[in-house]
Amino acid sequence: MGGLEGLLSGFQVAFSVEGIIFVFIGVLAGTFIGMLPGLGPISAIAVMIPISYGFDPTIALVMMAGVYYGAVFGGSTSSILLNAPGISGTVATAFDGHPLAKQGKAGKALAIAAISSFIGGTVGIVLLMLFAPMLASVAIAFGPPEYFALMLVALTAIASLSEGSLVKAFISGVIGFMFATVGIDAQTGTPRFTFGMTNLLSGIEFLVIALGLFALAEICFLIINSFKEKNNIHQNIGSLKLTKSDLKEMKGPATRQSFLGFIIGVLPGAGATIASFIGYIVEKKLSKRPEQFGKGSIKGLTAPETANNAATSGAFVPLLSLGIPGSGTTAVLLGALLVLGVQPGPLLFEDEPTLFWGVIASMYIGNVFLLILNLPLIPYISKLLLIPRPLLISLVITFCMLGVYAISFNTFDIYLLLIFGVIGFLMRLARFPAPPFILSFILGGMMEQSLRQSLTISEGGLGIFLESPIAMALFIVALLSIVIPAFKKKTIT
Amino acid sequence: MLYKNERVITLGKKWGLILVFVSMVTLIACSNNNKAVSGEWSPKESIEVVAPAGAGSGWDTTARMAAKIFEEEGMIEQDIGVVNKPGGGGAVGWAYVAEKAGNPHHMFIASPPIIDVPLNGQSQYDHNDFTPIANVIADYGAFAVRADSKWENLNDLFEDMKKDPSSVTIIGASSPGSMDHIQFVKIAKEAGVDIKKIKYVSEQDGGTLTALLNGSADVYSTGVAETIEQAKAGKIKVLGVTSEERLEGEVISEFPTVQEQGIDSYFVNWRGFFAPPDTDENAIDFYVSKFKELNESEAWKEIRKQYGWDEMFMYGEEYKDFLDEQKEESEQLLDELGILKNE
Amino acid sequence: MLKTLNRKIAVLLWCIAILYLFFAYRLPSYAYVPIDSNALPIILGILLLVLSTILFFEKGDVENDKLNINKTDLLKLLGVFLLIVLYASFLESLGFLIVSTFFIFFCSYLLGYRKHVINAVIAILVPLTFYLLFTSALQIRLPQGVMPF
Repeated sequence: MGGLEGLLSGFQVAFSVEGIIFVFIGVLAGTFIGMLPGLGPISAIAVMIPISYGFDPTIALVMMAGVYYGAVFGGSTSSILLNAPGISGTVATAFDGHPLAKQGKAGKALAIAAISSFIGGTVGIVLLMLFAPMLASVAIAFGPPEYFALMLVALTAIASLSEGSLVKAFISGVIGFMFATVGIDAQTGTPRFTFGMTNLLSGIEFLVIALGLFALAEICFLIINSFKEKNNIHQNIGSLKLTKSDLKEMKGPATRQSFLGFIIGVLPGAGATIASFIGYIVEKKLSKRPEQFGKGSIKGLTAPETANNAATSGAFVPLLSLGIPGSGTTAVLLGALLVLGVQPGPLLFEDEPTLFWGVIASMYIGNVFLLILNLPLIPYISKLLLIPRPLLISLVITFCMLGVYAISFNTFDIYLLLIFGVIGFLMRLARFPAPPFILSFILGGMMEQSLRQSLTISEGGLGIFLESPIAMALFIVALLSIVIPAFKKKTIT
Repeated sequence: MLYKNERVITLGKKWGLILVFVSMVTLIACSNNNKAVSGEWSPKESIEVVAPAGAGSGWDTTARMAAKIFEEEGMIEQDIGVVNKPGGGGAVGWAYVAEKAGNPHHMFIASPPIIDVPLNGQSQYDHNDFTPIANVIADYGAFAVRADSKWENLNDLFEDMKKDPSSVTIIGASSPGSMDHIQFVKIAKEAGVDIKKIKYVSEQDGGTLTALLNGSADVYSTGVAETIEQAKAGKIKVLGVTSEERLEGEVISEFPTVQEQGIDSYFVNWRGFFAPPDTDENAIDFYVSKFKELNESEAWKEIRKQYGWDEMFMYGEEYKDFLDEQKEESEQLLDELGILKNE
Repeated sequence: MLKTLNRKIAVLLWCIAILYLFFAYRLPSYAYVPIDSNALPIILGILLLVLSTILFFEKGDVENDKLNINKTDLLKLLGVFLLIVLYASFLESLGFLIVSTFFIFFCSYLLGYRKHVINAVIAILVPLTFYLLFTSALQIRLPQGVMPF
């Protein structure tokens, strides 16, 4: 019963005074970092590494993990209030969260986000605790062909992310994909569409595009509409209280996405961002009123918020059970473990049971902290919207510029932010939807690479896809998600 | 400092006088910066160390750890700040430092990519454009296969590759022509494999080890540190490491070197610090003496052990010669692969 | 022929696709992979050509066809863009504190905020708080510029 003993000692560490204090520091810092557009958990954890040198490894990891899931938790705030995603995992949150805030239901939207995050996070931890060692095999089941199939499934959702013209949604998606091809091609080392600019060599940062297309474009609209429709946005925040029917709406997506998000999080390379997009799309497809999505649907807000937090817990599976970092953030955590004198690897579970279970146990406390930290703050945070409009706009632009600068410390990214702001503004004027753009930007790059990796391995043969049962199953899902809606439409009309 | 003086002219008299006073004071305070002062140089303002990659990367860790020890042990009194300038495999950071020509309060951390990336045509600056200060550590490459693989050593692997190079898939995290690719190609070439037919897949989203374990790739070309725990757990076998002698330490001492398997080659992932172009010699001397101190300190030894880095201290002419030699070698390999870009 | 907005956009997209394809075809080839770096861009370029052709012939909604932006608002918008460009150009030379203070103050002013004292206080305090948070609490350096700290 080494496992149970480890579990107990883990809980002991997590519930010690020291443990509780550092979880608190971690989630507090995480919430704050998540709220700031641009500044993500990666840089926050990286700067903590030298500081935590000499700490007890469990305590240090407990704190850093807190920063990670705290950031995903807190990232929703700026997505909802300002349409400025705090981190890439909360871009999809803005789709319905921001419309809700615009309708004067900011308080409610933030409460839904906090509760969904809590549910997703907590279910994720339960799954992590129960199945981490078992799920290790799931984490390595995905190679290039399987990833290609997964990305294809997600990309079929472009059609479902559109309102109005389908052609415009596809055009938006193709252009997003085109931007994903900028930079050095990983398979050949050829710089593509960089026009000799060093700054473009590593491609365009996802958050620069997200902040440009969403936050800055939104601001352009506010400026244009400033005089005509003074009361366009209700400058009130509404009540926090959720009604029974709200909770009923949340139930389905919160349950499903806790599991789905977790599984996607387990896959190395996928992570919270993709989990939140897939969660959003799945719920839209399942919904009886998909037309409400994008206009302030409660389901549309619950789904990505549950999924991204569940995925964060999922991302700890490959890290803790295999020593494989599944995302940029967990890679930095892995580096942190090395500094602390812990060798992360398949033996961590046996060699360091206290650390393994201590981190998991602390995540329960962390999530409770996040909930009680966030809920009472909502009325105060949402007062941000009451700041006089001109002042609010200049502050939001400053946050975006600071955030974008802090990603790579390069003023070039601020110019790019402006360019994408203009593109986003023009797209909205001409009624091209932005979500397909962002979706195919993030998935497109990965899809192209996994396709070409697969074909390099097979020397050009397509058999590599047919031989993989997982890939085949995913291809069928992709096919069905195209065929079924088309079929439905025909039978209805 | 200059523009403070220029501005005086355009401002009102009263403010002008105050500014003149302030500038004089600062000028006097900073006058030691000037090259004219002979002998001992020491930094007068905070020092900026650029890591031309993101937070948490190898460059970033080395730079932050060195900065931490300089400050904690009181070796350098001024603040040392590590700044991340990621992009283009280092090219963005190098372009940034190149603009700081002659400024002795800047430096950056470098390793083999500063030689390979320019040769691939992805950076207009190479090591010759900067002033090398000192090399501090060395890391080595490792080639790993699944535990149940049919290959027991490098010779088994290379025998198969000599028959049919494209039957084996190599995976690594860097793009073709950079570190993980080049270290494998270098060793394989010495073993007599047709390097043009090597099938190398680049995976930059963190899926390298996964791809090895699930059979998508056959050989994983990476750094030694990445393989230790997996080898300990019996998931992978390390067929060879690229150091000249066996590494010391638990587990890693069991990894055979390339050389003891009869392949006369090696590959060092050296890491050192460089100053901007045209940095004053006195400043370089100062930094060299500080890095020497760092290299000998107990705290740094502890860090090296923690990360499994080897000591590799070099400076001055020795370092420059080493770098030129490295460049020549890479140039030959890339040329043979047909991916060398001449400007 | 170019009466509707959709048609104008379609022509613009057509040009973009041609330009993109032009550069895609000029990408150097690399001998060691079955699918080269230009394959996908070429597909994307052609896809955009096809899609914009469809857009050209699609019936546009009449209500969307008119963009009415009044001139003063447009000027304000351009003013904000200019301020962003200035911010980016001077961020590293003047430092985060100075440019942010200027940006917040002038941007709010431009957008019609006339309570100068409050504006100035916020424009100074907010960047200062962020600067201190970044440099002390997070140990992340922001451009110091000409400021002494």
